[in-house]
Amino acid sequence: MAEVDAAGHITREINAAIRQLIAEGSTDITVLNPGARHNLAVAILDGVRIRIAGSAGYYCGGLGDGASIEIEGSAGWGLAESMLSGTIRVHGNAGSGAAAALRNGTIVVHGDAAARLGVSMKGGEVIVAGNCGYMAGFMAQKGTLIVCGDAGEAFADSMYATVCYVGGKIANLGTDAVLSPMDPGERERLEATLNSYLPAALRRTKPAAADFKKVVAGRKLWNFDKREWRIWQEAV
Amino acid sequence: MCGIVGYLDKTGSENQPIGKILLGMLEALASRGPDSAGVALFGIPRLNQLIARVKLGNNGDGAQRVLDVKTAAQKFGAQELAQKGDYLRFTFEENGDLKPFLSDIESVAPDVEVVSVGRRLEIVKQVGSPSRLEQSFGISGFLGGHGIGHTRLSTESVVDLSHSQPFWGHGYPDLAIAHNGHITNYHQLRRRYQEHGVRFYTENDSEVVAIFLADKLRQGFPLRAALESMIAELDGSFSCLVATDSALAFVKDPFSFKPLLYTETASFVAIATEEIAIRSAIPGDYTVREAQAKEVQVWQR
Repeated sequence: MAEVDAAGHITREINAAIRQLIAEGSTDITVLNPGARHNLAVAILDGVRIRIAGSAGYYCGGLGDGASIEIEGSAGWGLAESMLSGTIRVHGNAGSGAAAALRNGTIVVHGDAAARLGVSMKGGEVIVAGNCGYMAGFMAQKGTLIVCGDAGEAFADSMYATVCYVGGKIANLGTDAVLSPMDPGERERLEATLNSYLPAALRRTKPAAADFKKVVAGRKLWNFDKREWRIWQEAV
Repeated sequence: MCGIVGYLDKTGSENQPIGKILLGMLEALASRGPDSAGVALFGIPRLNQLIARVKLGNNGDGAQRVLDVKTAAQKFGAQELAQKGDYLRFTFEENGDLKPFLSDIESVAPDVEVVSVGRRLEIVKQVGSPSRLEQSFGISGFLGGHGIGHTRLSTESVVDLSHSQPFWGHGYPDLAIAHNGHITNYHQLRRRYQEHGVRFYTENDSEVVAIFLADKLRQGFPLRAALESMIAELDGSFSCLVATDSALAFVKDPFSFKPLLYTETASFVAIATEEIAIRSAIPGDYTVREAQAKEVQVWQR
């Protein structure tokens, strides 16, 4: 297993060292002393394993395509922003804008996520063991957003076709977000997803798949209709 | 941008190296705003005595100006007078109403400003980076129980000592704030206070936060209620740290525009705009989380 010690190095040097190790054939890399530095392991385009031995700052794993990244502390703003594929697992909490514009892949947060989780996500799966903050899922287009704990205000506002599941309380739904019954077999699929990424021991809140609420777009904002002027006034 | 930091010792000690800790945190955030830097430090409380820090103005190098401010201060029994940089620092007897004191000192010249007054509070701020603050004032040697700090990227108002942060809740002893964000109903609030005779020393929208909180506390609001009223009455973005003689607190706006992270352990509370500040200044094993929209936290000493 290869190691990169971040202490005393600028971000550019740390990321260059990671790429150098990958070019030399390493598939399992540990970043020591990350110290919540920004832009760690961004735009890694290979299916390697990267372990961040502590907290990461802004944009960790952003623009990546295929890497499996494990952050042993917390992550700052913009975790995995615009990631194309791969897996990121955060043992601590995630800052605002986690999984924003996610294209594909899986983001797992063992703690809480702050505001704007999964905004404008275009695919992939986001799974949060704890709570999420204000305006999660805003304008999200595709993919799945799972929050085992409570969701903050304006949840799933102005969404397209992302499907959300919330295990705890929802402070309030955003514009055009609606609760929806689950389809036959959907609970089993949700349970399988949770079990594969978030074993019961890591779920701080009790809900099994049976307790989850499903939230989708009400589709009132998908096409303009002047008879629905009121909802447009609220949304804009 | 801007970076804000806060630290509170939970062990009851008044001799923690808070100057060093806050400086370490600020230096890690210096790239968020190199225009000016400052700290509000809470040291060992004085008994019936207040510590004043006065901006001499005129760059603090006019001998006559120094003499004039000293003369004004001596009417209030000023002791331990010491000049450093643009500041005159002294102690004086606590005597209820601060108004005569503030009015006499500040009438020496228009650019003379009482930067802080408190039994414990000392605000030290100036133009330049956090490292420069250390070079000028040696803040790393300051011992105390808690404090806040700020490093500024100016967006709307001039860069000088008075426009730097933290701001004192002018006239209210031992109240300091450090704000990251923009108060968009600033002019409306400012006019309202000016109609009641409040003097503003800067064009910086963050100043109104200090005035607002001083006003609420004077009206008898508990600190938490005062911070909650900010969410209702102030518009715009604010991640705001507040310190009094016995508490450290923060409040976040309803949209969670600006970052703010914190950690609490058995022995301390640390708050900063970025986790990198906490990690680089404080070793150890602890978990950091981002504050949520509308979150208010108050830690009493």
